[in-house]
Amino acid sequence: MTGQRWMDFAGQAIFHTLVAALVIEALIRLWGVRQPEQRTGFRLLALGWPLLVVPALFVAFPVREAEAFRDARAIFAGRHWDDLAFLGIGLYGWWIAFMGAAGLGLFLLDLVPWMRARGAQSPPWVARAPEARSAEEALARAAHALRMEAPPLAWVGSGPPILFCTGTRQPTVVISRAAVDLLDGDELTGALAHELAHLERRDPTLSWALMGARALMWFNPGVQVLVRAIARDGERIADERAGTACGDRLALASGLLKLYRATGGGVPASGVGRRPLTAALAEPIARARDHDIELRCRALLEEAPAPVPLARMRLAAVAAGLGFLLFFVV
Amino acid sequence: MTAARPMGSTVSEGARALWTLTLVLGGAALALVALDSMPTWLHGHPRGVRRAASIEEAERRVQSRVLLPSYFPDSLRWPPSQVRFVVDDGGSVALDFQGKDGAPALLLAQSLASGGAIPDGLQGRPAVIQRQSAPLGEDAVLARVVAEDGTLWNQLEWSRSGRRFLLRGRGSLEDLIRMARSIHGERR
Repeated sequence: MTGQRWMDFAGQAIFHTLVAALVIEALIRLWGVRQPEQRTGFRLLALGWPLLVVPALFVAFPVREAEAFRDARAIFAGRHWDDLAFLGIGLYGWWIAFMGAAGLGLFLLDLVPWMRARGAQSPPWVARAPEARSAEEALARAAHALRMEAPPLAWVGSGPPILFCTGTRQPTVVISRAAVDLLDGDELTGALAHELAHLERRDPTLSWALMGARALMWFNPGVQVLVRAIARDGERIADERAGTACGDRLALASGLLKLYRATGGGVPASGVGRRPLTAALAEPIARARDHDIELRCRALLEEAPAPVPLARMRLAAVAAGLGFLLFFVV
Repeated sequence: MTAARPMGSTVSEGARALWTLTLVLGGAALALVALDSMPTWLHGHPRGVRRAASIEEAERRVQSRVLLPSYFPDSLRWPPSQVRFVVDDGGSVALDFQGKDGAPALLLAQSLASGGAIPDGLQGRPAVIQRQSAPLGEDAVLARVVAEDGTLWNQLEWSRSGRRFLLRGRGSLEDLIRMARSIHGERR
Protein backbone atom coordinates (compact mmCIF):
# COMPACT_ATOMS: atom_id res chain seq x y z
CA MET A 1 0.00 0.00 0.00
CA THR A 2 1.27 3.48 -0.87
CA GLY A 3 1.70 6.25 1.69
CA GLN A 4 -1.37 8.00 0.34
CA ARG A 5 -3.48 4.86 0.78
CA TRP A 6 -2.23 4.39 4.34
CA MET A 7 -3.18 7.98 5.04
CA ASP A 8 -6.62 7.44 3.54
CA PHE A 9 -7.00 4.27 5.62
CA ALA A 10 -5.94 6.01 8.84
CA GLY A 11 -8.21 8.98 8.10
CA GLN A 12 -11.21 6.80 7.37
CA ALA A 13 -10.56 4.55 10.39
CA ILE A 14 -10.47 7.61 12.67
CA PHE A 15 -13.43 9.36 11.07
CA HIS A 16 -15.63 6.26 10.85
CA THR A 17 -14.94 5.48 14.53
CA LEU A 18 -15.88 9.02 15.54
CA VAL A 19 -19.13 8.98 13.56
CA ALA A 20 -20.04 5.44 14.68
CA ALA A 21 -19.23 6.23 18.33
CA LEU A 22 -21.18 9.52 18.30
CA VAL A 23 -24.22 7.93 16.64
CA ILE A 24 -24.13 5.01 19.09
CA GLU A 25 -23.69 7.18 22.18
CA ALA A 26 -26.60 9.37 21.03
CA LEU A 27 -28.78 6.28 20.54
CA ILE A 28 -27.76 4.81 23.93
CA ARG A 29 -29.06 7.99 25.54
CA LEU A 30 -32.15 8.45 23.37
CA TRP A 31 -33.21 4.81 23.70
CA GLY A 32 -32.41 4.82 27.43
CA VAL A 33 -30.03 1.85 27.26
CA ARG A 34 -28.90 1.54 30.89
CA GLN A 35 -28.02 -2.12 31.21
CA PRO A 36 -24.21 -2.38 30.96
CA GLU A 37 -24.32 -5.61 28.89
CA GLN A 38 -26.43 -3.89 26.26
CA ARG A 39 -24.26 -0.78 26.31
CA THR A 40 -21.21 -2.96 25.76
CA GLY A 41 -22.90 -4.60 22.77
CA PHE A 42 -23.48 -1.23 21.12
CA ARG A 43 -19.99 0.02 21.93
CA LEU A 44 -18.39 -3.15 20.60
CA LEU A 45 -20.11 -2.39 17.30
CA ALA A 46 -18.40 1.02 17.20
CA LEU A 47 -15.10 -0.57 18.23
CA GLY A 48 -15.35 -3.25 15.57
CA TRP A 49 -15.91 -0.68 12.86
CA PRO A 50 -12.31 0.47 12.32
CA LEU A 51 -10.94 -3.01 13.03
CA LEU A 52 -13.16 -5.01 10.68
CA VAL A 53 -15.46 -2.90 8.54
CA VAL A 54 -13.01 -0.21 7.35
CA PRO A 55 -10.39 -2.76 6.15
CA ALA A 56 -13.20 -4.78 4.51
CA LEU A 57 -14.44 -1.66 2.70
CA PHE A 58 -10.92 -0.95 1.46
CA VAL A 59 -10.50 -4.49 0.14
CA ALA A 60 -13.99 -5.08 -1.25
CA PHE A 61 -14.77 -1.62 -2.67
CA PRO A 62 -11.68 0.00 -4.21
CA VAL A 63 -14.08 2.15 -6.24
CA ARG A 64 -14.59 4.24 -3.08
CA GLU A 65 -11.03 5.52 -3.45
CA ALA A 66 -11.58 6.89 -6.95
CA GLU A 67 -11.77 10.65 -7.39
CA ALA A 68 -15.13 10.30 -9.18
CA PHE A 69 -16.64 8.56 -6.12
CA ARG A 70 -15.28 11.25 -3.82
CA ASP A 71 -16.75 14.07 -5.87
CA ALA A 72 -19.98 12.59 -7.15
CA ARG A 73 -21.15 9.94 -4.69
CA ALA A 74 -19.57 10.52 -1.29
CA ILE A 75 -21.47 12.63 1.24
CA PHE A 76 -18.17 13.41 2.95
CA ALA A 77 -14.64 13.14 1.58
CA GLY A 78 -11.83 14.02 3.97
CA ARG A 79 -9.52 14.81 1.05
CA HIS A 80 -11.75 17.75 0.12
CA TRP A 81 -10.29 19.46 3.18
CA ASP A 82 -6.86 19.18 1.53
CA ASP A 83 -8.05 21.96 -0.80
CA LEU A 84 -7.27 24.24 2.15
CA ALA A 85 -3.62 24.20 3.20
CA PHE A 86 -1.60 25.49 6.13
CA LEU A 87 2.20 25.63 5.84
CA GLY A 88 1.92 23.74 2.57
CA ILE A 89 0.08 20.78 4.11
CA GLY A 90 -3.62 20.16 3.52
CA LEU A 91 -5.98 20.53 6.49
CA TYR A 92 -6.97 16.86 6.19
CA GLY A 93 -3.32 15.92 6.68
CA TRP A 94 -3.13 18.21 9.71
CA TRP A 95 -6.31 16.68 11.13
CA ILE A 96 -4.98 13.13 10.75
CA ALA A 97 -1.69 14.16 12.39
CA PHE A 98 -3.52 15.83 15.30
CA MET A 99 -5.88 12.89 15.84
CA GLY A 100 -2.98 10.43 15.52
CA ALA A 101 -1.06 12.32 18.22
CA ALA A 102 -4.17 12.37 20.45
CA GLY A 103 -4.67 8.62 19.93
CA LEU A 104 -1.04 7.86 20.72
CA GLY A 105 -1.20 10.07 23.82
CA LEU A 106 -4.30 8.28 25.13
CA PHE A 107 -2.73 4.89 24.41
CA LEU A 108 0.52 5.77 26.19
CA LEU A 109 -1.41 7.24 29.11
CA ASP A 110 -2.52 3.70 29.96
CA LEU A 111 0.34 1.70 28.48
CA VAL A 112 3.17 3.41 30.39
CA PRO A 113 1.70 2.93 33.92
CA TRP A 114 0.74 -0.65 32.98
CA MET A 115 4.29 -1.45 31.82
CA ARG A 116 5.75 0.19 34.91
CA ALA A 117 3.46 -1.87 37.12
CA ARG A 118 4.53 -5.06 35.31
CA GLY A 119 8.18 -4.10 35.69
CA ALA A 120 7.84 -3.38 39.41
CA GLN A 121 8.48 -6.19 41.88
CA SER A 122 5.14 -7.70 42.84
CA PRO A 123 4.48 -8.91 46.40
CA PRO A 124 4.91 -12.67 46.85
CA TRP A 125 1.77 -14.78 46.39
CA VAL A 126 1.17 -17.91 48.42
CA ALA A 127 -1.16 -20.54 47.00
CA ARG A 128 -2.35 -22.08 50.26
CA ALA A 129 -1.89 -19.97 53.36
CA PRO A 130 -3.44 -20.99 56.72
CA GLU A 131 -4.36 -17.36 57.49
CA ALA A 132 -6.32 -17.11 54.21
CA ARG A 133 -9.10 -19.27 55.61
CA SER A 134 -11.67 -16.49 56.03
CA ALA A 135 -10.96 -15.30 52.49
CA GLU A 136 -11.33 -18.84 51.14
CA GLU A 137 -14.65 -19.24 52.93
CA ALA A 138 -15.88 -15.93 51.50
CA LEU A 139 -14.69 -17.01 48.05
CA ALA A 140 -16.60 -20.29 48.37
CA ARG A 141 -19.74 -18.36 49.39
CA ALA A 142 -19.33 -15.99 46.43
CA ALA A 143 -18.74 -18.90 44.01
CA HIS A 144 -21.82 -20.68 45.36
CA ALA A 145 -23.89 -17.52 44.87
CA LEU A 146 -22.67 -17.27 41.27
CA ARG A 147 -23.11 -21.03 40.73
CA MET A 148 -19.56 -21.52 39.58
CA GLU A 149 -16.50 -23.37 40.79
CA ALA A 150 -14.21 -21.35 43.03
CA PRO A 151 -10.86 -20.65 41.36
CA PRO A 152 -7.58 -20.90 43.32
CA LEU A 153 -6.94 -18.08 45.77
CA ALA A 154 -3.51 -16.41 45.87
CA TRP A 155 -2.68 -14.90 49.25
CA VAL A 156 -0.49 -11.85 49.76
CA GLY A 157 0.51 -11.63 53.40
CA SER A 158 1.86 -8.08 53.47
CA GLY A 159 1.47 -4.71 51.82
CA PRO A 160 -1.56 -2.58 50.92
CA PRO A 161 -5.10 -3.86 50.25
CA ILE A 162 -5.09 -5.89 47.05
CA LEU A 163 -8.00 -7.63 45.38
CA PHE A 164 -8.06 -8.57 41.72
CA CYS A 165 -8.46 -11.48 39.37
CA THR A 166 -5.95 -12.58 36.79
CA GLY A 167 -5.08 -15.39 34.41
CA THR A 168 -6.35 -16.24 30.96
CA ARG A 169 -5.78 -20.00 31.16
CA GLN A 170 -5.50 -20.44 34.93
CA PRO A 171 -7.88 -17.95 36.53
CA THR A 172 -6.85 -16.87 40.01
CA VAL A 173 -8.17 -14.40 42.56
CA VAL A 174 -5.43 -12.50 44.36
CA ILE A 175 -6.20 -11.02 47.76
CA SER A 176 -4.06 -9.50 50.49
CA ARG A 177 -4.34 -9.64 54.26
CA ALA A 178 -4.95 -5.88 54.33
CA ALA A 179 -7.99 -6.26 52.06
CA VAL A 180 -9.47 -9.00 54.28
CA ASP A 181 -8.85 -6.86 57.37
CA LEU A 182 -10.44 -3.83 55.70
CA LEU A 183 -13.73 -5.44 54.62
CA ASP A 184 -16.44 -7.03 56.74
CA GLY A 185 -17.83 -10.46 55.84
CA ASP A 186 -20.59 -9.30 53.44
CA GLU A 187 -18.35 -6.71 51.79
CA LEU A 188 -15.65 -9.32 51.27
CA THR A 189 -18.11 -11.81 49.76
CA GLY A 190 -19.49 -9.08 47.48
CA ALA A 191 -16.04 -7.93 46.39
CA LEU A 192 -14.93 -11.52 45.70
CA ALA A 193 -18.16 -12.17 43.78
CA HIS A 194 -17.30 -9.11 41.68
CA GLU A 195 -13.92 -10.65 40.79
CA LEU A 196 -15.54 -14.03 40.09
CA ALA A 197 -18.01 -12.31 37.77
CA HIS A 198 -15.00 -10.99 35.84
CA LEU A 199 -13.60 -14.52 35.57
CA GLU A 200 -16.99 -15.90 34.59
CA ARG A 201 -17.05 -13.44 31.64
CA ARG A 202 -13.38 -14.20 30.83
CA ASP A 203 -12.58 -10.52 31.32
CA PRO A 204 -8.80 -11.09 31.75
CA THR A 205 -8.72 -12.57 28.22
CA LEU A 206 -11.02 -9.84 26.92
CA SER A 207 -8.77 -7.15 28.42
CA TRP A 208 -5.81 -8.57 26.45
CA ALA A 209 -7.90 -8.52 23.29
CA LEU A 210 -8.91 -4.92 23.99
CA MET A 211 -5.28 -3.97 24.62
CA GLY A 212 -4.40 -5.59 21.28
CA ALA A 213 -7.12 -3.53 19.58
CA ARG A 214 -5.72 -0.37 21.19
CA ALA A 215 -2.21 -1.24 20.04
CA LEU A 216 -3.40 -1.89 16.48
CA MET A 217 -5.35 1.37 16.45
CA TRP A 218 -2.84 3.42 18.45
CA PHE A 219 -3.47 6.39 16.15
CA ASN A 220 -7.23 6.32 16.65
CA PRO A 221 -8.45 8.35 19.64
CA GLY A 222 -12.00 7.06 19.17
CA VAL A 223 -10.81 3.48 19.72
CA GLN A 224 -8.83 4.50 22.82
CA VAL A 225 -11.89 6.19 24.36
CA LEU A 226 -14.25 3.36 23.36
CA VAL A 227 -12.04 0.69 24.94
CA ARG A 228 -12.04 2.67 28.18
CA ALA A 229 -15.84 2.92 28.05
CA ILE A 230 -16.10 -0.85 27.40
CA ALA A 231 -13.76 -1.54 30.34
CA ARG A 232 -15.96 0.66 32.55
CA ASP A 233 -19.01 -1.28 31.32
CA GLY A 234 -17.15 -4.49 32.25
CA GLU A 235 -16.84 -3.24 35.83
CA ARG A 236 -20.53 -2.33 35.91
CA ILE A 237 -21.49 -5.75 34.56
CA ALA A 238 -19.40 -7.46 37.26
CA ASP A 239 -20.99 -5.16 39.88
CA GLU A 240 -24.49 -6.04 38.71
CA ARG A 241 -23.76 -9.76 38.53
CA ALA A 242 -22.19 -9.81 42.00
CA GLY A 243 -24.87 -7.58 43.51
CA THR A 244 -27.69 -9.68 42.07
CA ALA A 245 -26.08 -13.03 42.95
CA CYS A 246 -25.16 -12.10 46.54
CA GLY A 247 -28.33 -10.09 47.10
CA ASP A 248 -26.55 -7.33 49.03
CA ARG A 249 -25.81 -4.49 46.64
CA LEU A 250 -25.14 -2.07 49.52
CA ALA A 251 -22.35 -4.26 50.93
CA LEU A 252 -20.70 -4.43 47.51
CA ALA A 253 -20.90 -0.64 47.11
CA SER A 254 -19.45 -0.17 50.57
CA GLY A 255 -16.61 -2.64 49.90
CA LEU A 256 -15.87 -1.00 46.56
CA LEU A 257 -15.62 2.42 48.18
CA LYS A 258 -13.44 1.18 51.05
CA LEU A 259 -10.99 -0.53 48.69
CA TYR A 260 -10.88 2.51 46.42
CA ARG A 261 -10.09 4.86 49.30
CA ALA A 262 -7.57 2.47 50.85
CA THR A 263 -5.64 2.16 47.59
CA GLY A 264 -5.21 5.93 47.29
CA GLY A 265 -8.18 6.51 45.00
CA GLY A 266 -8.83 10.13 44.16
CA VAL A 267 -5.43 11.30 45.39
CA PRO A 268 -2.79 11.77 42.68
CA ALA A 269 0.35 9.78 43.45
CA SER A 270 3.05 11.68 45.31
CA GLY A 271 5.66 13.32 43.16
CA VAL A 272 3.51 13.82 40.07
CA GLY A 273 3.21 17.51 40.83
CA ARG A 274 6.88 18.06 40.15
CA ARG A 275 6.42 17.91 36.40
CA PRO A 276 3.90 20.37 34.94
CA LEU A 277 2.53 17.97 32.28
CA THR A 278 2.05 14.99 34.59
CA ALA A 279 0.51 17.25 37.24
CA ALA A 280 -1.88 18.66 34.65
CA LEU A 281 -2.85 15.16 33.53
CA ALA A 282 -2.98 13.53 36.99
CA GLU A 283 -5.72 15.74 38.38
CA PRO A 284 -8.35 15.23 35.67
CA ILE A 285 -7.57 11.50 35.58
CA ALA A 286 -8.02 11.24 39.35
CA ARG A 287 -11.26 13.22 39.07
CA ALA A 288 -12.52 10.95 36.30
CA ARG A 289 -11.76 7.88 38.44
CA ASP A 290 -13.59 9.46 41.40
CA HIS A 291 -16.57 10.12 39.15
CA ASP A 292 -16.49 6.59 37.83
CA ILE A 293 -16.48 5.05 41.31
CA GLU A 294 -19.28 7.40 42.33
CA LEU A 295 -21.37 6.28 39.35
CA ARG A 296 -20.75 2.61 40.14
CA CYS A 297 -21.75 3.09 43.78
CA ARG A 298 -24.85 5.06 42.78
CA ALA A 299 -25.83 2.32 40.33
CA LEU A 300 -25.47 -0.28 43.09
CA LEU A 301 -27.66 1.77 45.41
CA GLU A 302 -30.43 1.69 42.81
CA GLU A 303 -32.27 -1.29 41.40
CA ALA A 304 -30.63 -3.28 38.63
CA PRO A 305 -31.38 -1.50 35.32
CA ALA A 306 -33.95 -3.16 33.09
CA PRO A 307 -32.90 -4.13 29.56
CA VAL A 308 -34.41 -2.23 26.63
CA PRO A 309 -36.67 -4.43 24.52
CA LEU A 310 -35.70 -5.57 21.00
CA ALA A 311 -32.02 -5.08 21.71
CA ARG A 312 -30.83 -7.37 18.90
CA MET A 313 -33.11 -5.74 16.36
CA ARG A 314 -31.81 -2.33 17.43
CA LEU A 315 -28.21 -3.49 17.16
CA ALA A 316 -28.80 -4.96 13.70
CA ALA A 317 -30.59 -1.79 12.57
CA VAL A 318 -27.73 0.41 13.84
CA ALA A 319 -25.16 -1.79 12.06
CA ALA A 320 -27.13 -1.65 8.80
CA GLY A 321 -27.74 2.10 9.08
CA LEU A 322 -24.12 2.87 9.89
CA GLY A 323 -22.99 0.57 7.08
CA PHE A 324 -25.09 2.46 4.58
CA LEU A 325 -24.11 5.91 5.88
CA LEU A 326 -20.38 5.28 6.24
CA PHE A 327 -20.05 3.60 2.85
CA PHE A 328 -20.37 7.12 1.46
CA VAL A 329 -17.85 8.62 3.88
CA VAL A 330 -14.33 8.44 2.45
CA MET B 1 -41.84 -14.76 36.14
CA THR B 2 -42.12 -11.98 33.59
CA ALA B 3 -45.29 -11.13 31.73
CA ALA B 4 -45.18 -11.54 27.95
CA ARG B 5 -45.09 -8.22 26.09
CA PRO B 6 -48.21 -7.53 24.05
CA MET B 7 -47.56 -7.72 20.30
CA GLY B 8 -48.86 -4.18 19.68
CA SER B 9 -46.53 -2.75 22.30
CA THR B 10 -43.52 -4.52 20.72
CA VAL B 11 -44.41 -3.22 17.27
CA SER B 12 -44.83 0.36 18.47
CA GLU B 13 -41.61 0.10 20.50
CA GLY B 14 -39.78 -1.15 17.40
CA ALA B 15 -41.28 1.57 15.21
CA ARG B 16 -40.28 4.23 17.74
CA ALA B 17 -36.74 2.85 17.91
CA LEU B 18 -36.43 2.85 14.11
CA TRP B 19 -37.78 6.40 13.90
CA THR B 20 -35.19 7.58 16.44
CA LEU B 21 -32.45 5.75 14.53
CA THR B 22 -33.58 7.38 11.27
CA LEU B 23 -33.49 10.81 12.88
CA VAL B 24 -30.01 10.28 14.34
CA LEU B 25 -28.59 8.89 11.09
CA GLY B 26 -30.30 11.63 9.08
CA GLY B 27 -28.82 14.26 11.39
CA ALA B 28 -25.40 12.67 11.05
CA ALA B 29 -25.73 12.61 7.25
CA LEU B 30 -26.72 16.29 7.15
CA ALA B 31 -23.80 17.21 9.42
CA LEU B 32 -21.42 15.26 7.16
CA VAL B 33 -22.73 16.95 4.00
CA ALA B 34 -22.33 20.36 5.68
CA LEU B 35 -18.80 19.46 6.78
CA ASP B 36 -17.95 18.30 3.26
CA SER B 37 -19.16 21.51 1.64
CA MET B 38 -17.22 23.76 4.02
CA PRO B 39 -13.86 23.71 2.14
CA THR B 40 -15.63 24.69 -1.10
CA TRP B 41 -17.46 27.45 0.73
CA LEU B 42 -14.28 28.66 2.48
CA HIS B 43 -12.09 28.93 -0.63
CA GLY B 44 -14.96 30.32 -2.70
CA HIS B 45 -14.90 27.84 -5.58
CA PRO B 46 -18.14 26.43 -7.01
CA ARG B 47 -19.13 22.92 -5.85
CA GLY B 48 -17.26 20.16 -7.64
CA VAL B 49 -14.20 22.31 -8.32
CA ARG B 50 -11.18 20.93 -6.47
CA ARG B 51 -7.73 22.33 -5.92
CA ALA B 52 -4.45 20.51 -6.37
CA ALA B 53 -1.06 21.50 -5.04
CA SER B 54 0.62 20.96 -8.42
CA ILE B 55 -0.03 20.00 -12.02
CA GLU B 56 1.36 16.53 -11.27
CA GLU B 57 -1.11 16.06 -8.41
CA ALA B 58 -4.00 17.17 -10.64
CA GLU B 59 -2.85 14.71 -13.33
CA ARG B 60 -2.73 11.94 -10.75
CA ARG B 61 -6.16 12.75 -9.40
CA VAL B 62 -7.88 13.04 -12.78
CA GLN B 63 -5.72 10.22 -14.18
CA SER B 64 -4.95 12.07 -17.40
CA ARG B 65 -2.15 14.19 -18.88
CA VAL B 66 -2.50 17.96 -18.92
CA LEU B 67 -1.21 19.55 -22.14
CA LEU B 68 1.07 22.54 -21.53
CA PRO B 69 2.39 25.19 -23.91
CA SER B 70 6.04 24.84 -24.84
CA TYR B 71 6.10 28.59 -25.41
CA PHE B 72 5.77 30.50 -22.16
CA PRO B 73 6.22 34.32 -22.20
CA ASP B 74 8.78 35.86 -19.84
CA SER B 75 6.08 38.16 -18.48
CA LEU B 76 4.41 35.23 -16.66
CA ARG B 77 5.42 33.43 -13.46
CA TRP B 78 5.91 29.67 -13.38
CA PRO B 79 4.51 27.48 -11.76
CA PRO B 80 0.79 28.27 -11.86
CA SER B 81 -0.51 30.12 -8.82
CA GLN B 82 -3.51 27.83 -8.68
CA VAL B 83 -4.35 24.43 -10.12
CA ARG B 84 -8.07 23.61 -10.18
CA PHE B 85 -9.85 20.61 -11.61
CA VAL B 86 -13.18 18.82 -11.83
CA VAL B 87 -13.66 15.11 -12.34
CA ASP B 88 -17.18 15.15 -13.85
CA ASP B 89 -17.68 14.52 -17.60
CA GLY B 90 -14.24 13.04 -18.08
CA GLY B 91 -12.51 15.81 -16.13
CA SER B 92 -11.17 19.30 -16.83
CA VAL B 93 -8.22 21.24 -15.48
CA ALA B 94 -7.62 24.99 -15.17
CA LEU B 95 -4.24 26.60 -14.47
CA ASP B 96 -4.08 30.19 -13.23
CA PHE B 97 -0.85 32.10 -13.83
CA GLN B 98 0.31 35.39 -12.38
CA GLY B 99 2.32 38.03 -14.15
CA LYS B 100 5.72 39.13 -12.84
CA ASP B 101 3.86 41.89 -10.94
CA GLY B 102 1.88 39.22 -9.01
CA ALA B 103 -1.47 40.09 -10.61
CA PRO B 104 -3.62 37.45 -12.38
CA ALA B 105 -2.41 37.29 -16.00
CA LEU B 106 -3.43 34.06 -17.69
CA LEU B 107 -5.91 31.20 -17.48
CA LEU B 108 -5.30 27.94 -19.33
CA ALA B 109 -8.23 25.51 -19.13
CA GLN B 110 -8.76 22.25 -20.95
CA SER B 111 -11.13 19.32 -20.95
CA LEU B 112 -9.40 15.97 -20.64
CA ALA B 113 -11.82 13.66 -22.44
CA SER B 114 -12.90 13.70 -26.05
CA GLY B 115 -16.17 15.60 -26.43
CA GLY B 116 -15.93 17.04 -22.94
CA ALA B 117 -16.68 20.70 -22.23
CA ILE B 118 -14.88 23.01 -19.81
CA PRO B 119 -17.36 23.67 -16.98
CA ASP B 120 -18.26 27.24 -16.01
CA GLY B 121 -16.96 26.54 -12.54
CA LEU B 122 -13.42 26.43 -13.96
CA GLN B 123 -13.50 29.13 -16.64
CA GLY B 124 -15.97 31.61 -15.12
CA ARG B 125 -18.38 33.62 -17.21
CA PRO B 126 -16.79 36.93 -18.16
CA ALA B 127 -18.79 39.35 -20.29
CA VAL B 128 -17.87 39.01 -23.98
CA ILE B 129 -17.74 42.28 -25.89
CA GLN B 130 -16.36 41.06 -29.21
CA ARG B 131 -16.17 37.64 -30.94
CA GLN B 132 -14.59 36.45 -34.14
CA SER B 133 -13.15 33.24 -35.60
CA ALA B 134 -9.52 32.52 -34.84
CA PRO B 135 -6.77 30.91 -36.93
CA LEU B 136 -6.70 27.73 -34.83
CA GLY B 137 -9.28 25.56 -36.53
CA GLU B 138 -12.91 25.62 -37.59
CA ASP B 139 -14.49 26.05 -34.19
CA ALA B 140 -11.80 28.35 -32.80
CA VAL B 141 -13.11 31.59 -31.36
CA LEU B 142 -11.20 34.71 -30.44
CA ALA B 143 -12.97 37.09 -28.05
CA ARG B 144 -12.40 40.20 -26.01
CA VAL B 145 -13.78 39.72 -22.51
CA VAL B 146 -14.11 41.86 -19.40
CA ALA B 147 -12.26 40.35 -16.45
CA GLU B 148 -13.49 40.56 -12.83
CA ASP B 149 -11.35 43.64 -12.17
CA GLY B 150 -12.88 45.39 -15.20
CA THR B 151 -9.84 45.10 -17.46
CA LEU B 152 -10.07 43.74 -21.00
CA TRP B 153 -8.53 40.33 -21.69
CA ASN B 154 -8.12 38.29 -24.87
CA GLN B 155 -9.65 34.85 -24.96
CA LEU B 156 -9.02 31.96 -27.33
CA GLU B 157 -11.18 28.84 -27.43
CA TRP B 158 -10.59 25.89 -29.73
CA SER B 159 -10.89 22.11 -29.98
CA ARG B 160 -8.29 19.54 -30.90
CA SER B 161 -8.81 15.75 -30.98
CA GLY B 162 -12.18 16.26 -29.34
CA ARG B 163 -10.70 18.09 -26.35
CA ARG B 164 -11.69 21.69 -25.65
CA PHE B 165 -9.04 24.31 -24.77
CA LEU B 166 -9.31 27.85 -23.47
CA LEU B 167 -6.62 30.50 -23.05
CA ARG B 168 -7.51 33.84 -21.51
CA GLY B 169 -4.82 36.43 -20.84
CA ARG B 170 -4.22 40.09 -20.39
CA GLY B 171 -1.00 39.99 -22.47
CA SER B 172 -0.67 40.48 -26.19
CA LEU B 173 -2.86 38.55 -28.61
CA GLU B 174 0.25 37.42 -30.46
CA ASP B 175 1.62 35.74 -27.32
CA LEU B 176 -1.73 34.05 -26.70
CA ILE B 177 -1.90 32.55 -30.20
CA ARG B 178 1.73 31.47 -30.01
CA MET B 179 1.07 29.69 -26.70
CA ALA B 180 -2.03 28.05 -28.11
CA ARG B 181 -0.13 26.71 -31.11
CA SER B 182 2.77 25.51 -28.93
CA ILE B 183 0.37 23.36 -26.87
CA HIS B 184 0.04 21.14 -29.93
CA GLY B 185 3.66 21.33 -30.96
CA GLU B 186 3.13 23.95 -33.64
CA ARG B 187 5.90 26.52 -33.91
CA ARG B 188 4.04 29.36 -35.58
